[in-house]
Amino acid sequence: MEISILGRGLPCHVRKARYHPTKASSILLAMKLTAFLFLAACLQVSAKGYSQKVSFSGKNVSINAVFASIEKQTGLSFFFNYALIKDVKPVTLDVRDVSLEEALNVVLGEVGLDFYKTGKTIFIVRKSIAIGNASSAGVAGPPQYNIKGRVVNHLGESLPSATVVVRNGKKSVFTNEKGEFELKGIAAGSILDFTYLGYEKKTIAANNADFMVVELTLASNQLDEAQVIAYGQTTQRLSTSNITMVRGKDIETQPVNNPLLSLEGRVPGLFITQNNGLPGSAVGVLIQGKNSLNYGTDPLYVIDGVPYPSATLPSTNLGPLGTVYGSYGIGTPLSFINTADIESIEVLKDADATAIYGSRAANGAILITTKRGKAGKTKASFNLQNGWGAITRKLPLLNTQQYLEMRHEAFRNDGLRPRPSNYDINGAWDTTRYTDWQKVLIGGTAQYTNVSGSVSGGNTNTQYLFGGTYHRETPVFPGHFSDIKASMHFNIDAVSSNQKFKMQLTGSYLVDNNKLPIQDLTGTAITLPPDAPKLYNPDGTMNWQLTPSGSETWLNPLSYLYKKYQSKTYNLIGNSNLSYSILPGLDLRANLGYNSLRINEFASTSMLANSPSNQFAYGINGRNSQFTYSTIDSWIIEPQVTYAAILGDGKLDALAGATLQQNSSDGVQLNGIGYSSDALLGDIYSAATILASPTVHSIYNYAAVFARLNYLFKERYVINLAARRDGSSRFGSANQFHNFYSIGAAWIFRQEQENPGNFKFLSLGKIRGSYGTTGSDQIGDYQYMNLYQSVAVDVPYQGITGLAATGLPNPYLQWEETQKLQLGIELGFLKNRIFFQADIVDNHSSNQLDGLILPLITGFNYVTINKPAKIRNREIELSLRMLNIQKKEFTWSTNINFTLPQNKLLSYPGQIPGYLVVGQPLTITKAFHFMGTDPSTGLYQFQDSKGNPTQSPSFSTDNTTLINAGFPKYYGGFQNVVRYKRFQLDFLLQFVKKIAANYGFGARVPGRPINQPVYILNRWQKPGDIAAIQRFSSNLSLADSYSNAASYSDAAYSDGSYIRLKNIALSFELPDRALRLIHFQGMKIYLQGQNLFVITKYKGMDPETGSSALPPLKILTAGLQMDF
Amino acid sequence: MKPKYIFLIVLLIWQLSESSCKKLIEVSPPSTAVTGNAVFSSDATAIATLTGIYATISTSSTATAGSIPSLSLYPGLSSDELTLWSNSGNLQGTAYYQNALTSGLSGYGSDYWSGFYPIIFSCNAAIEGLKKGTGFTPSIQQQLLGEAYFMRAYCYFYLVNLYGDLPLALTSDYAVNSKLSRTSSSQVFKQIVSDFQQAVSLLSTTYFDGTLLKSSVERVRPTKWAAEAMLARAYLYTGNWSGAQAQADLLLNNNSLFALSSLDSTFLRAGLGNKEAIWQLQPVNAGSNTEDAKAFIMDSSYGPGGGGNFGAYLSSALLDSFELGDNRRFNQHWIDSVNFQSTIYYFPIKYKVYLPVPDPSDVTEYLMMLRLGETYLIRAEAKARQGDLSGAATDLNAIRARAGLSGTSETTQPGLIKAILHERQVELFTEMGQRWLDLKRTGSIDAVMGVVTPQKSNGASWNSYQQLYPVYYLDIQSDPNLKQNLGY
Repeated sequence: MEISILGRGLPCHVRKARYHPTKASSILLAMKLTAFLFLAACLQVSAKGYSQKVSFSGKNVSINAVFASIEKQTGLSFFFNYALIKDVKPVTLDVRDVSLEEALNVVLGEVGLDFYKTGKTIFIVRKSIAIGNASSAGVAGPPQYNIKGRVVNHLGESLPSATVVVRNGKKSVFTNEKGEFELKGIAAGSILDFTYLGYEKKTIAANNADFMVVELTLASNQLDEAQVIAYGQTTQRLSTSNITMVRGKDIETQPVNNPLLSLEGRVPGLFITQNNGLPGSAVGVLIQGKNSLNYGTDPLYVIDGVPYPSATLPSTNLGPLGTVYGSYGIGTPLSFINTADIESIEVLKDADATAIYGSRAANGAILITTKRGKAGKTKASFNLQNGWGAITRKLPLLNTQQYLEMRHEAFRNDGLRPRPSNYDINGAWDTTRYTDWQKVLIGGTAQYTNVSGSVSGGNTNTQYLFGGTYHRETPVFPGHFSDIKASMHFNIDAVSSNQKFKMQLTGSYLVDNNKLPIQDLTGTAITLPPDAPKLYNPDGTMNWQLTPSGSETWLNPLSYLYKKYQSKTYNLIGNSNLSYSILPGLDLRANLGYNSLRINEFASTSMLANSPSNQFAYGINGRNSQFTYSTIDSWIIEPQVTYAAILGDGKLDALAGATLQQNSSDGVQLNGIGYSSDALLGDIYSAATILASPTVHSIYNYAAVFARLNYLFKERYVINLAARRDGSSRFGSANQFHNFYSIGAAWIFRQEQENPGNFKFLSLGKIRGSYGTTGSDQIGDYQYMNLYQSVAVDVPYQGITGLAATGLPNPYLQWEETQKLQLGIELGFLKNRIFFQADIVDNHSSNQLDGLILPLITGFNYVTINKPAKIRNREIELSLRMLNIQKKEFTWSTNINFTLPQNKLLSYPGQIPGYLVVGQPLTITKAFHFMGTDPSTGLYQFQDSKGNPTQSPSFSTDNTTLINAGFPKYYGGFQNVVRYKRFQLDFLLQFVKKIAANYGFGARVPGRPINQPVYILNRWQKPGDIAAIQRFSSNLSLADSYSNAASYSDAAYSDGSYIRLKNIALSFELPDRALRLIHFQGMKIYLQGQNLFVITKYKGMDPETGSSALPPLKILTAGLQMDF
Repeated sequence: MKPKYIFLIVLLIWQLSESSCKKLIEVSPPSTAVTGNAVFSSDATAIATLTGIYATISTSSTATAGSIPSLSLYPGLSSDELTLWSNSGNLQGTAYYQNALTSGLSGYGSDYWSGFYPIIFSCNAAIEGLKKGTGFTPSIQQQLLGEAYFMRAYCYFYLVNLYGDLPLALTSDYAVNSKLSRTSSSQVFKQIVSDFQQAVSLLSTTYFDGTLLKSSVERVRPTKWAAEAMLARAYLYTGNWSGAQAQADLLLNNNSLFALSSLDSTFLRAGLGNKEAIWQLQPVNAGSNTEDAKAFIMDSSYGPGGGGNFGAYLSSALLDSFELGDNRRFNQHWIDSVNFQSTIYYFPIKYKVYLPVPDPSDVTEYLMMLRLGETYLIRAEAKARQGDLSGAATDLNAIRARAGLSGTSETTQPGLIKAILHERQVELFTEMGQRWLDLKRTGSIDAVMGVVTPQKSNGASWNSYQQLYPVYYLDIQSDPNLKQNLGY
């Protein structure tokens, strides 16, 4: 018996004796007894581990030095027989911030020693050598154990399919569905690594054959946290992909209506633009640039595994969500997702991450994961938030005096006198009036209210979460408008008692009642003359400022109040994820999802929305209403099989599966014209004339098989292969199927525990790269079919509804293909407190779905074809996260991200459309070169082909410059989180460097009856004047000159860069003492601000939304969060 | 892994792989549309395609250049027939009126090119579908095929007259059509004659209703008679006088079906007893009679350009060419006037109803596409050119008599031909561009326009190339083999 002779180490003697059959039996009983006690101690060790964290780095140092260092770091003392270590060779150790136990296991395991800890003392003992029951006694060689154990999480729940690897022993197993494992014939002193995705790795030395319970703790560092990917999970450490994760807690701090808006400035490679500041308005999303000439560039949205539509039905919408009123853009269904339900959003960018989504992910993918319940005490949370919003900037506009000066000068310049219809200056209006229309029409205060609550809990077999949210926002316009959302969300996770069958059920239902105005009043607010009449008559009715003959002199902007709009949206998402474990490592899964998005819209024009003369002219036809009913239903079935195995020195994960998906879209729009009363506008039956718009009815079927292989070798090398074969109903039978594939690899050349070699200064070093193909089928349904549609006329010809071809069919349409090559490097410094990540992106898109321009002699002017035009998107994405200060009471962390995009049209065979230039970005604009105002005539001049000024430039002959106002030069975000005691301050600055179309030439021809920004006062007045603005004119004679300058010249574009305080949040958590008093588990009081200020040189309302749309509102809220 | 499971997994994946996937992703066409194959596999849908062509033509406005109804207006503006109101401000109308059409993106004049070729595509697709398809009633298949040939030739007839040499698209295949070069006018006319001959042989002598099985009192689908009328016109334009006469004979000898109507009944719908109609289009816009009436008739309270009027009125050249006592000019039969702001404007009232009617059954006038009056004049000219002077005079006098005029005094061949051409001017004014086409085919255009154009365009002179309109600019850009007309 190799009992170490340690004075006070008695329990140990006895413990080891139990496993030594050659020892005297006299002390057997005592040994058994103490063995039991020690086992209990060991279990405790395993269960909790030592709380102290230690670090050590040294090459060929004496073991004594290691002990000394640990004593210093932990305050513990070592106790050992010196003889035990005198022959020990120098050791090499490099650990950072690991548990004491792990550090000692590593260093002592190498030299055949062991330890145990009692109180504040660590005892060093010789490694016990036992003969396992599988090895026969007397055989020479190192003793061996048969080791059994169980791997559990911090809640005591077993972790099935956790990996147990015997270091250097080339042996590893998975835990079974109960989390148990068995390792046979393990050499004494072997070191076991326990890993499970999303948990911190644990290292334990195999000292005996006792049943060990190994508790893994949830990874708290970003590197080892679970990260959702397509059909699975990974960690940043082991990922081969370019993925950015945004956590629910970063989304929670932002008072936004659409979760996409919370990603602005946080994700390198993702550029988001808001169309305007109205809730629910369209949001543009581009991941790694524009890949497609003409068709969709939307990423694939996946919510808990169910694909989600990226656009509402375009042809049937009316209001803020639709296309009929241009400034709003197509609605985004993402605003029907409740931000409070979101656990995390992953943005998948490269082929490695997205090729397994095949044809749908050429533009990247955005995965949204909702919150789930956790086992433990039932927890109830309640969150109440209330706030206010307003516009951030106003345009400096002419006051009445300046306006009148402009008008009179314009008439003088034209040699004209005001006509009877020039009410603004001919006396019909009170020219002493001044109204700041921006203040009146868009200067209101928006209300923001968000109330949410949830209950969660469960036991080890079943967990649940149930939550609800009420959200209300109002616009800044006058009148009673609002957008109200109410939603419910639940999920249940259950596992059978034999742990083999698992089920995740998720459901959410959201109802949105949008009653926002049908028009954005910003355009009116900045163009209405400042001397325009008052809105109301003394009797409270709308003032039309009638002439003596009874006709109105202006369009009262309040008439929009009599145009009602309402859209009711019902969004149901249901998803179940079932899995059955056939064998450890082999699981069968099925993902079943359903989504139903139903939007009912109603828009009406009351009689009072018409001016008095129109009321007279239209009669009952002055009242009309539109009813739109649209639904998008989709379901998906994805059976999968996953297999995990230990193969050689590595771990293999394999996935195979199939997808069946169907989306069906239906839309109907009815228009009622002519009602006898405003009260009947909601009843289509009451209309004098009912007209139907073309209906939408389309089905998209999609089926695919896919597979992925992931191999992790020696915890250092990762290779990831994915392939998918896709079939889409959007293509003709010749090209219905297409293959997509990707290969990704990563090399972790520096891990914390390992030999640092030349990379001592790093705590993590990783290089990864990937190449693969993805596709896009975003061309709309039925494009390849030869279809005939009804020719709708009022009176059918001979009583028959005719049929006509809808277009030229092209049965050979195929997928657009994007090849993505990306290289990334990830570096951690100072125990990963500084973490740097860089990606180089080189994506090539080809086989562009495009309209081939045809001569009309073919019957139509285009046919959709695949054009071998090539588009390249190159990008550098950088991100840096720093834990600047980490003290108990004070932490400060910083995240910075930066993206440098470059988009280029590489080639375009055949006749190139005028808006494209080979070698330039797709978003290029051709513009005349502006040469200022001609001092002699006061008209704008442009450079002609010879460089001389001309007043009537032509795009076909004269000089043009290329301007890229469509996409930023670079963009990024700068986020800081500072926590002091119970206070936390979080703020995000978003920065964008770009060129934007400006408002520098005013709104239409200066001098017309339209208000203008003050800078147009710098105008030409007399020959010889050098002025920025052409001479004022009261009519349209200078309209061409104006539009050449304001719309088509390079002077119409200028710096639109901006820095926006996207988000700021300050919170205070109540101390435990106070919580105990009120019996709360937690309480947080917070203030949140969105878009509080913007720094820009831009001439116009806002550089993001453009010169005349409602800019993103600044919103300031206060809230209270309570956990019971 | 146990073999059992491997087997199950392989089975599962195979189940979902290509062979079965194909079925899974197949979709039927949307319920809002029918596939081309399905359209040409039943009588009803095939009828609907040709009916769709007529409905599309009939719904378009006379004021919109490029539509078939607008043939009555824009070529008239180009000729000496119409005057554009000086304050109209209509750039497009002005360009046609001042013979100032130009090539290029913002130029005007290619409207008929871009308007008619899509109809030709529909005809080609219908011809192919009807020939290939099965499941038709033979008589219906034959009638529809005849209608498609007829409509194709009708469009080519106008295109070749307005634009000269044409790309001759005779298939629906864009790959072929997008590379066509121009075929000479004479070849195009050969194709037109051949198509009308085909139509004559295929089309029925019965005026059908929408089922193509039952006869109808209205004459709103092309028949053998329409094809003969157009064939007669095509022969006239190509100098085949005997052919023109023979075709006209067929119509004029059919007294039971056709006869001249009184002046005020000439443009009524056939269902009201108007036996002059050979082919008409049924109005399809709610409350509307013809679009021509809306564009031409002036309301005394609005004047030119007001209340739906296009702003064009009859030129003094035309008004002055009427003989005294011609009822077409006087007594408010075919021409009326308004006094607006102290100016008198004369406008055609061949179609008389321009205000909305409450119900489709109240519609009295259909757009006249072909009428017997023209056939008389075609035969008169064909006879005169062949030396049958008395026969020519008889046909001419039939038209003159209806207008309240005595018989022609001309007795020589040139005199008679001149009289017939003059009769065409005063009989067929503002009808489908006849005047503009006559000026061109008779070679008198340079002489006439050389005088008229400077008057219309503040002195700008007439150039002979302007007798052809410019070819659609974008087509020249996208078809490498297509060249613009000389002069543009």
